[in-house]
Amino acid sequence: MKRKHKKAIREALKIILGVIIMFPLIIMIITAFMPKAEVLSIPFNLSIKNPTLDNFAYVFKYLEILTYLKNTFVVIGVCVPVQVITSLLAAYAFSYFEFPLKKTIFTLLLMSMMIPGEVVMMTLFKMIVNWELINTYASLIITHLVSVGAVFMFRQNMLSLPRSLWEAARMDGCGYMKYFSSILVPLCKTLIVARVLESFIWTYNSHLWPLMVITTDTMKTVQVGVASLTGAQHSGIVLAATACVLVIPVLLFIFGMDKISEGLTAGAVKS
Amino acid sequence: MGSKKKSLGVKILPYLLIFPVCLSVALFSFYPFVKTIVSSFSVTDEFGGWIRWAGTTFWQMIVESKTNDFGKMVRTTLVFAVMNFTMTLSLAGVLAFLTTKRTRLSKIYQTLFALPMAVASATASIVWKFILNSEGGLLNTWLGTNIEWLNDPKIAIWMVSIVTAWCHLGHSYLFLLAGFRSVSADVQEAAIVDGAGRFTRAFRIMIPMASPQIFFVVFTNIISALKTFTQINLLTNGGPAGATSTLMYGIYWRQYKGEYEAACCLSIVLFLVIFLITRIQFLSEKKLVHYQ
Repeated sequence: MKRKHKKAIREALKIILGVIIMFPLIIMIITAFMPKAEVLSIPFNLSIKNPTLDNFAYVFKYLEILTYLKNTFVVIGVCVPVQVITSLLAAYAFSYFEFPLKKTIFTLLLMSMMIPGEVVMMTLFKMIVNWELINTYASLIITHLVSVGAVFMFRQNMLSLPRSLWEAARMDGCGYMKYFSSILVPLCKTLIVARVLESFIWTYNSHLWPLMVITTDTMKTVQVGVASLTGAQHSGIVLAATACVLVIPVLLFIFGMDKISEGLTAGAVKS
Repeated sequence: MGSKKKSLGVKILPYLLIFPVCLSVALFSFYPFVKTIVSSFSVTDEFGGWIRWAGTTFWQMIVESKTNDFGKMVRTTLVFAVMNFTMTLSLAGVLAFLTTKRTRLSKIYQTLFALPMAVASATASIVWKFILNSEGGLLNTWLGTNIEWLNDPKIAIWMVSIVTAWCHLGHSYLFLLAGFRSVSADVQEAAIVDGAGRFTRAFRIMIPMASPQIFFVVFTNIISALKTFTQINLLTNGGPAGATSTLMYGIYWRQYKGEYEAACCLSIVLFLVIFLITRIQFLSEKKLVHYQ
């Protein structure tokens, strides 16, 4: 009996710890429902007296938040599928084919992972300016169509599949692309889902690159759009907008956490 | 039949498969990388086009600059990286250790601990800025103080590190959890039977056996701290008095001021720092990490 008691307390403590970590988000939600007078009162108090939806109404009525969301989804709609497909194709070539220069090209791709996007970002920006793509979807998209990390992750996965499968399929006259689409891709399904989720959240959350290439309000992505509200609006409205934007990745994360953590650990650590 | 059937189509197929990835890497990674190096020694026009060689003019400029002190910037970057990885690693480590054993509620607190990784650094910064606001901000109200959390040069770097650690917490936690859980229950039970206490188990069994994950988390955190931009931009704008101005922020700041060539110099420095740390990671991994 006593042991059971102790266990329950321990469990409760862990939940409380989790709530403490989530505290910034809790504060955000509470403040988002506060009327302006309470938000601006000094000293600020978390206890809410007259909860209201005014802030949310304002966000959807006067701010371009739906445009920001639309822009973000255009970028995600192109980048995420293209990233996954190109990575799968390249991984297929590197794991199932022998061809001249294979080693060299593979090493070059490995080396490219040593060049962080942040290091070349200013030059990329100049390229975008040069191509007159500032304030276009193209500028947000073209630099993020490919993920070398995903190539390595999928390759690892494909190499771990039994070789006999490939031989048997080839014996039965299965074509190269047929094998890819009807056998290989379904077998990589778990990692594909993980990659889609991760890439979705990453693209949704990216801030620096959109901040550089977008200058007009109607082309902003969610993160840049919401960040630009600070100072221009009172905190209740800013936090209401932030809360609206946050809902999507948080829900995706909660429902896909197992898949995401599987995908994360799959590519990173050898064992 | 194999050799004859290896027609032209089959020979070029793998090249077609890798073409999109290779094109993109060449165009958006290697080419700009080379161009960044070249531009740091050149004078360029407003489109980044090459005009003439400038030797080390811009390198001297960034090193001698008074308004954006280079030495201080490198120091700030390294201090920030160390602060961030210490905070993230210790917090994530404690959480992972507490929750290694699966229970009925694990799913709930695992999600709560890992959730910050779904929160964009921009979003997190907005919320934290509201909390840390010096005038009537929540933290000052609670503590009954009047501290300039983001405007005091000594405190601001700590605040930016805390917010960054919060952002990185979920990612590190999931890795360490996977590491600790890979230690088999048998080993742990054997240790308990042998009378090993909680701390002995943590430091003598869990940590050595999860060393690949710990190692990975340490270096991932250092490198992502080096690349941190958003938190600094939104919380302090590199200030006060350059106290939170890291290399990454310096790059943006130079570019923003139209000094592309100087931004290129700083980009190369950032690259070298990251490269060096990756080398250290690679070389020390063999010595320190225990693979099962």
